[in-house]
Amino acid sequence: MASVFSGAPPMSGPGYSFKQTPTVASSGNREHSFYPYTDNGGSTLGISGADFTILAGDTRSTSGYNINTRYAPKLFKIGSEGPDGAGARIVLSVVGFAADGDALKERLDTIVKMYKYQHGKPMSVAACAQRLSHILYNKRFFPYYVHAILGGLDEEGRGALYSYDPVGSYEREQCRAAGAAASLIMPFLDNQVNLKNQYMPGSGVGHALEQRVPEPLPKKDVEELVRDAFTSAVERHIEVGDGLQMMIITKDGIQETFNKLKED
Amino acid sequence: MYVLLGITGKDFTIVAASKAAMRGATILKASDDKTRALNSHSLMAFSGEAGDTVQFAEFIQANIQLYSMRNAMELSPSATANFVRGELARALRSRKPYTVNLLLGGYDKITDKPSLYWIDYLASLAPVPYAAHGYAQYYCLSILDKHHNPNIDLEQGMRILRMCTDELKRRLPIDFRGVTVKVITKEGIREEEYADDHKVVCP
Amino acid sequence: MDSLVSHYSRPAFRSEGYSQDEQQELSEIAPSLSLKFALPPVAQSSAWLRSMTDDYSNPNCPIKIAHGTTTLAFRFKGGIIVATDSRATAGNWIASQTVKKVIEINNCLLGTMAGGAADCQYWLAYLGMQCRLHELRHKRRISVAAASKLLANLVYSYKGMGLSMGTMCAGVTPQEGPALYYIDSDGTRLAGNLFCVGSGQTFAYGVLDAEYSYDLSDEAALELGRRSILAATHRDAYSGGFINLYHVKEDGWVKHGFSDTNPIFWKTKLEKGEFSNVTADLE
Repeated sequence: MASVFSGAPPMSGPGYSFKQTPTVASSGNREHSFYPYTDNGGSTLGISGADFTILAGDTRSTSGYNINTRYAPKLFKIGSEGPDGAGARIVLSVVGFAADGDALKERLDTIVKMYKYQHGKPMSVAACAQRLSHILYNKRFFPYYVHAILGGLDEEGRGALYSYDPVGSYEREQCRAAGAAASLIMPFLDNQVNLKNQYMPGSGVGHALEQRVPEPLPKKDVEELVRDAFTSAVERHIEVGDGLQMMIITKDGIQETFNKLKED
Repeated sequence: MYVLLGITGKDFTIVAASKAAMRGATILKASDDKTRALNSHSLMAFSGEAGDTVQFAEFIQANIQLYSMRNAMELSPSATANFVRGELARALRSRKPYTVNLLLGGYDKITDKPSLYWIDYLASLAPVPYAAHGYAQYYCLSILDKHHNPNIDLEQGMRILRMCTDELKRRLPIDFRGVTVKVITKEGIREEEYADDHKVVCP
Repeated sequence: MDSLVSHYSRPAFRSEGYSQDEQQELSEIAPSLSLKFALPPVAQSSAWLRSMTDDYSNPNCPIKIAHGTTTLAFRFKGGIIVATDSRATAGNWIASQTVKKVIEINNCLLGTMAGGAADCQYWLAYLGMQCRLHELRHKRRISVAAASKLLANLVYSYKGMGLSMGTMCAGVTPQEGPALYYIDSDGTRLAGNLFCVGSGQTFAYGVLDAEYSYDLSDEAALELGRRSILAATHRDAYSGGFINLYHVKEDGWVKHGFSDTNPIFWKTKLEKGEFSNVTADLE
């Protein structure tokens, strides 16, 4: 019966439009297998609040089990006026393949700068977010191997945070962790920021329990959450460590901090 | 792909199995009975690897009957299910395992309750209120989730079964040639009339 | 004299700013929503992309693209119901529980998202742009048939390149009334009354087919849509999160909430006695 139901079982949903059997280059020229990626490890995370957004990332860069450097920033100011990053209002964090991340940062930075020169006003975060999605999708058939998170303040002055998959699907969220330790940090954030599986004390037992309602956290609490998330990830993930770079975006600009993490 | 369905209710268990016997893209027989009665109150429906299915079912059937003769009493459905699981698990660790998926419907005369057991070829055993095997799972379990409850009578049970077979007729790309329906009650096992020559269309 | 002046002078704004070409040269990047895609420098680019991104044929692929879904839409006398779950998965990892899988193309047209999240987001945004251009060019709204064909032809031109999408276009126009189309990345385009798409499609079909009729009331239709998605989130591990519900009516679509499945499940179980295979006891 397998022949009739060839390929994907019906539960697999819409299949790829790849042919079922991968075609081999017919004859003549043969090429080396093309693998232009490497994973440089590390993790990033972003949390948005009522009037601020915090992005953070560790600064270790690895390839395999080797540590390339202990200081390779994953956070970039976008659309700044000079080399020191003055005047920027948007921060991009990229994790995955660092070279792709760098290329992506350069492209977005150029576009945001050009926008300002041409229109005489800075680009809004919403516009920048959509543009980043299109940049990523432009390489749909040769993707950037990155998970990007974009942070800033929206037009009402509220914290805005956008997260992306490698080919540009994006969504505005309250919090997001990406990279090597995403699976360690994201459940922690779900619980502490969106209060998932937290119930009102004394509201009853079993089905009577009432879910706690999440509300925007104060900046001080978020900073502590970020530090806790990273110190914990360092304990359990080999690709995370060395330093914690944080950027806090408020109406007064971007405040950057750096703290040591364990270097083993 | 064969269809196996099982539904329990207040005082009965329904077991339904598709009538088509298929080999590749051919239907060899359109009135196949993919069930075997193990004793007066246990019925086993099977699907899987051709050959394995009937061999295993009849091997189990013979052993259950042997037990009845030796001990002058019948095994309860739960005892039967655990015996079947054990045999399947033993075979799984032998040189040639049986690749058979099973539904075991019964009526326990001591506790006065209907029962249904879902067993797959890896010898997982689960007592369930309703069950399906093969592609029928994908279409029927959501219907059963919605419409089943443990207190239904036979008429309601047959109505739910009709919803399931109609959905399979509507959406499965292969004609499984209707189902044979057997009902196990306090009185024993009987075959139920089941009309399946009507047409079902996609909305 | 006047003709001489006009010949040698140009309007003051003509040379202001950068031309389209200059802009492109400056940024050296394809413009937003363009159809110029970068390709890897290999002969078989689709085979290469497959080895990098298709976790169905290669579970160890480096780039995991968000996937997995249940979406449904059906036509009835009161319009069209569109309902989806909200889970995105990359392999076994739940990438998000809050995805908006109903894409609002304009105030009368909806698209749904199954398969690759980015593919659907991008191409439905592109479709939205084309629909607006059609409006501006022809001074009337595009028909759902035309919009869906635009999308179908578009994805068909990329056939074999590795796009993955199963989408439904639902909308109302004066000439067609409520119309529903299914389009997928193979190039299939079907008009119909009822479609379910995604890994949980069969479970949604089960509940939906059993009680569907064209003469459903608005309330019954909304409830059936909601219940069908709930059935799929219960049985399909790749579906879950929130139920996103829309009703397309004569004068555009109306949103009917983005509601958490967990309380709906327990309400359905405890109040209606459904899901009898799950125990509600705490012991």
